[in-house]
Parts: sequence; structure tokens; C-alpha cells
Amino acid sequence: MTETIEYRVTDFDCPTCASNLERALKRAEGVEDAEVHYTTGRVELGYDDGVTGPESFERTISNQGYTARPR
Amino acid sequence: MNTVNVERFLRKHRQPAVVVASGLLFAVGWVVGYFHDLPRASAALMILAAAVGGYDVAKKAYYTLRSRTVGISTLVTLAAIGAIVIGEYWEAAAVVFLFALGNYLEARTMGKTRSALEELLEMTPDTALVRRDGETVEVPARAVEEGETVVVKPGAKVPVDGEVVDGESAIDQAPVTGESAPVHKATGDEVYAGTINQEGALEVVATGTGRDTTLERIIRRVEEAQEAQAPTETIIERFAAYYTPAIVVLAAGAYAVTGDAVMALTLLVIGCPGALVIGPPVSIVSAIGSAARSGVLMKGGEHLETAGKIDLVAFDKTGTLTRGEPTVTHVDGFGLDEVSVLRYAAIAEKKSEHHLADAILEAAREGVPGDTDADTGLAADGGTALEHPSSAADGPTIPDPDEFDVVAGKGVVARHGDRRIVVGNRALLDDRGIEVPDPVRNRVRDREEDGETAVHVALDGEVVGVVSLGDELRPAAAEVVRALQDAGVRTVMLTGDNERTARSVAERLEIDDYRAELLPEEKQAAIQSFREDGHVVAMVGDGINDAPSLATADVGIAMGAAGTDTAIETADMALMADDLERIPYAVTLSKATRWNIGENVAIAVGTVVLLLSGVFAGYVHMASGMLVHIGSVLLVILNGMRLLRY
Repeated sequence: MTETIEYRVTDFDCPTCASNLERALKRAEGVEDAEVHYTTGRVELGYDDGVTGPESFERTISNQGYTARPR
Repeated sequence: MNTVNVERFLRKHRQPAVVVASGLLFAVGWVVGYFHDLPRASAALMILAAAVGGYDVAKKAYYTLRSRTVGISTLVTLAAIGAIVIGEYWEAAAVVFLFALGNYLEARTMGKTRSALEELLEMTPDTALVRRDGETVEVPARAVEEGETVVVKPGAKVPVDGEVVDGESAIDQAPVTGESAPVHKATGDEVYAGTINQEGALEVVATGTGRDTTLERIIRRVEEAQEAQAPTETIIERFAAYYTPAIVVLAAGAYAVTGDAVMALTLLVIGCPGALVIGPPVSIVSAIGSAARSGVLMKGGEHLETAGKIDLVAFDKTGTLTRGEPTVTHVDGFGLDEVSVLRYAAIAEKKSEHHLADAILEAAREGVPGDTDADTGLAADGGTALEHPSSAADGPTIPDPDEFDVVAGKGVVARHGDRRIVVGNRALLDDRGIEVPDPVRNRVRDREEDGETAVHVALDGEVVGVVSLGDELRPAAAEVVRALQDAGVRTVMLTGDNERTARSVAERLEIDDYRAELLPEEKQAAIQSFREDGHVVAMVGDGINDAPSLATADVGIAMGAAGTDTAIETADMALMADDLERIPYAVTLSKATRWNIGENVAIAVGTVVLLLSGVFAGYVHMASGMLVHIGSVLLVILNGMRLLRY
């Protein structure tokens, strides 16, 4: 089943950092779609909940050096 | 505090903790080196400071390298490692500490630019009192279903979009429409989720709930607008993608040519286009947020940049410069008493869909000719907009016509019993071969010169009277025109009305120019011709029927968009309230934003030029370069944030 989830990540240093995080999330297993908006700090994910879940996203985000707040 | 708590605290406040730790180590290292002459201990402390401050930076650099990009973290990591390799320990520690501090401050101030959006998010109602099975229960606002009745107590937030079915109150609509004065609401009126009930209890039937409320739509729109990139941003980002790797090459080249390692590393430190990349988005996010708080919805940076160049604003007259509610102002009888003239006109118009028909019917039902010395357009009613009763229950009833026919753009022809009634303009009477005597003709001309619309009433082929209708100018209209003229913007009025009426209104407003007797597609053509004359054109209309003109203009501004999806979705800018006064604000805010973006680009470029020349002249070293760089980034953020208070 495809699910969507939103986070707020507000500690980006620059717009490029946001697009790097987006790329990292897109590469994660089970993620079908990822959008990261630098200006509002909104992270939108579409994923297959049989394969992955929020815990793995939060790990990916913090591995990249950012803090994810659920919305 | 046990270890678990310390761990949690550090996880939550990692960034400031890292900054403080790195800063302390740096300070101790510096003291040890300077006062106690212990170079080894000092170097060790400095390396430690760099390691603590740089761990997250290096991790980020590693990840960005893996996704094959070079960011500022890459540059700083390279610079710090390079400085340690050549023995410049304190430079390495200083660069890393300053970078961490700068990042922390940047994240804090960037967070503030989002304050307008956060405020809107806070407006969303949490709970609702809903009537279920004869009881009033408290449920989460999102759980209310469309069609359910909610009770809104005084002082409470309205939890849904809906229609008042019982009660009367004043409502503070500022969160949604930006109107500062409370608006009176009674049965049949619309209310919006997130607005605040001030006086009486209301019962409201929900028409929009959860994510389908006007407030939620605004929030989504503001987010999307802030996320949409303006042309300037796109150009700069493209540039930045090449600029950063180019700096690495430049630094390597400089080292190869001069053999000066410190200079090469300094180039790395100052080589990030941070301020340049951050400047425009900060300006735009602040402007869009500030506008949303004032009840103006901007659809994105692109429209803001365009709106900043506006030099001509075209207004649709009816419903935009005027209230859009024509009323009968005078009835003149020629050989027939005024009450009968109005009554015959009303019978003929009873089945008509025309907007003037309602006004004639209402005046006839009230059984009085309009206020015979009303001064249309000059009355300034600064109070709250109260709905007129749509029918006066105690007035005379108007019978249906026995036959009825509309002549498009001219008027109506009807039969009532054995009387033939013709109500319309001069062209209709000419068509029917009905003479218009001189006194009537003069009266019609006088009325039109007063800015009114005059309609002839003929009975069995004889003109028996003239009904004149006026549409009151909005109180703010003249001020708005003047404010735009003061801002160096040309103002034009477009109307389907006849030349004389249009000229009278244009003169009263002191508007620069007007075009009269336009059909809807001709309005669009007028907008097109202004653009061909080299103007950047904004068109102000009331959303739905002006859609083609709004789309043709460089910037389409829809008025009174609260509650209507279409206007919010299609216009480039939407005024949530029917508040003309927001238009000069929107135009000047856009102009200020364009300036602000320009200032930010200038600050960023100026800093880089200054630093580069400083590096080659030998004035700027790693730590001072980093300090100036951080300063410039914070400066552009603070400059952009000025727009939040615009």
C-alpha cells in the first residue's frame, strides 16, 4: 500500500542541502516519491508501507545531519 | 540529571551544544597557547575543537560527495583538514567553530522567516462542539462532517467553513481575510474556519471541514507559493551548481601557481555562494508570509517579481470600484405618477435575470421611488457590510407579466393584461419606433452625466417615465487610485457602461483613463493593447466573470476570494476580503520585494568581490574570511526579514 507522510525539517544550511536530502530520500528503499522544500522546510514522502516506514526515514534524515519533526 | 537525560538533551539541542563545546575547546586552546606557551597542548585542543565542531559537517560533506555534488560542507571540511595538515591548527578550529556558529544562527533566523506561516498554522481550530443525536459533544475539528451543525460559543474559534443557521454575532475574520474590523454575521451568512467569534453564540451548518476549508486552502497556497521558485532564484541556483566546484579548481590552481597553501585554503573557505543563494528565497518567503497575514494571497515568487514591475493597473468598474449592488436612485414620471412608472417597470422586469432588474423590483416592492436626492458614489459608508433584506415582506406584490421577452443588451418587452410595456435603453425604443420627447432625452442625459444608468419606461408606445439606477462607489476607491498614482502607476477603468456614465465616474475618481461600452472580450482586448504598448499590466476584477481579462494581464488580482475556490486557484494574487485598499499595498510590497532581492544579490556579490581581492592582497585569512562570509549570510537574511513587517 502506498502511504504518504509529511515532516518538517528546518535546519538546512542552503537550498543545495535540501536537494541533497531529497536525493538521499529518493534513493531509500521503498520510497516512491520525495519532495523537500527548502523555504518552508516541508518534506513530503510517498512510500510503500510494506517495505519501509517512518523510522527508516527519520534515520535517513538524521544521517544526513538534519532533525525531522513530524507534522 | 542522569545520563539518559543528558543524552536526550544533547540529541534535541545538538547544534547549539556542538557550537558551545567547539567554542570552549577553541577558547581554552587559545589561552593555553597564548598565556602558557604550551604549543602542543594548544594544538591538541584546537584539533579537538575542529573535530567536535566539524564532525557533523564532515558527515554531511561525505553524504553530498556520495550524491556527487559539492556543497559548502565539502569546502569547509577540505579547508579544515588542509589547515591541520599544514600546521595551522588555530585557523582550522576557528573556521570550523565559526561555521558551526554561523549555521546555528542561520537556522534560527531562517526559522523566523517562517513565522507568518506558523502563525497561520496556529489559527487552525482544534476542537468543535457538534450536535449529534440531540446532544452537544466535543470532537476534534477535523472530525466534523459536512452538513453537521456546530455550536460556536463567544470567544471560540469557528471550527469549520459554514453557514449561520441561528444566532447573531460579530466575528474577527483577520486570520482569513486580513480585515481588522469585526464583521457582523447573522442567519444565512458565511463564516470561515479559524476566525474568532466575539459576542453571541452561533449555530453553523458545516459546508467545508478538515482540509477543505478556506484557511487550509490559504495555508496550502502559501506553502506552495513559498516553495515555487522565482526566475532569479532558478538562475542563481544554476550558477551556484557550477560556482562551488569552480572554486575548488581555482584554489588548486592558486596553490599550484603560488605555492601559498594558506591562500588556497582561504579561497575554499570564502568560496561558497551562501549569501547569494539564500538571499532571494528569504525575501520572497518573507513577502509572501507578510502578505498572507494581511489577507493577500500571492501565488509565488514569479508573480511577485512580475508584480514588482507593474506600471498600469486596470480596474473592472462594477463590483470592483463600485459595490456591485445597483439601487434605484430616481424615478421620473412623464405624464404618469412615479409609483406607477416603477410598478410597470417592475412587472416587465419580474422574469428578467439582469442585475438591474433586481434593483427595480426591490424599489417597487418597497413601494417608494428611490431617495430622490441621493448623491451616488459620494456616500461613504464606513460601517460593516450588512446584508440588505432581499425582499420587503410588507410591500405591494408585483404581478407576473403575461408575456415577456428579453432583447439582449437593450432591455425587455412585456405584456400585462392589455398594456404593452417596454423597459430599456434608447436603442430599444428606436427599434420599436417609439418617439423619445426632448424633456425625457434631457433628463436621461443629466442622469447619465451624474454617473447613473437611466432606463426608459414606455407604455403602449408612449414614454411615461425614466428609472435611474446608481451603483455606489466603494469608499476607498478614490484613495486607492491616488495611492497607485503616487506609487508611479497608471490607473485605468474598464466598463460595459455607456460613455457618459463612465466619464462621470472616472472624473469623480480622478482616474487616469477609462474605456467604456466594452463587451467582456473587448476588456480582454484592452488589456492586450496596454501590454502591446509596453506596459506591465495588473487587472483587478471580482474573479469569476473577469477570468479572461485576469488571465491576459501580467498579474491578475481577484477580489473577495475568501470562500471561492476558483478565484484562489486561478488568479495570480487574491484579496481574501473585498478590500480595495489592499491593492496599493500588494503593488508596493511587490516593488519592495524586487528591491530587496536586488539588495541581497548586491550584498552577496559585494562580499565575494571584497573577500577575493582581500585574499589575493593578503589581508584576509581563513578565520577572518569565514567571519565575513557568515556576516554576509546573516545580513541578507535579516534584510529579507524586513519584509515580514511590511
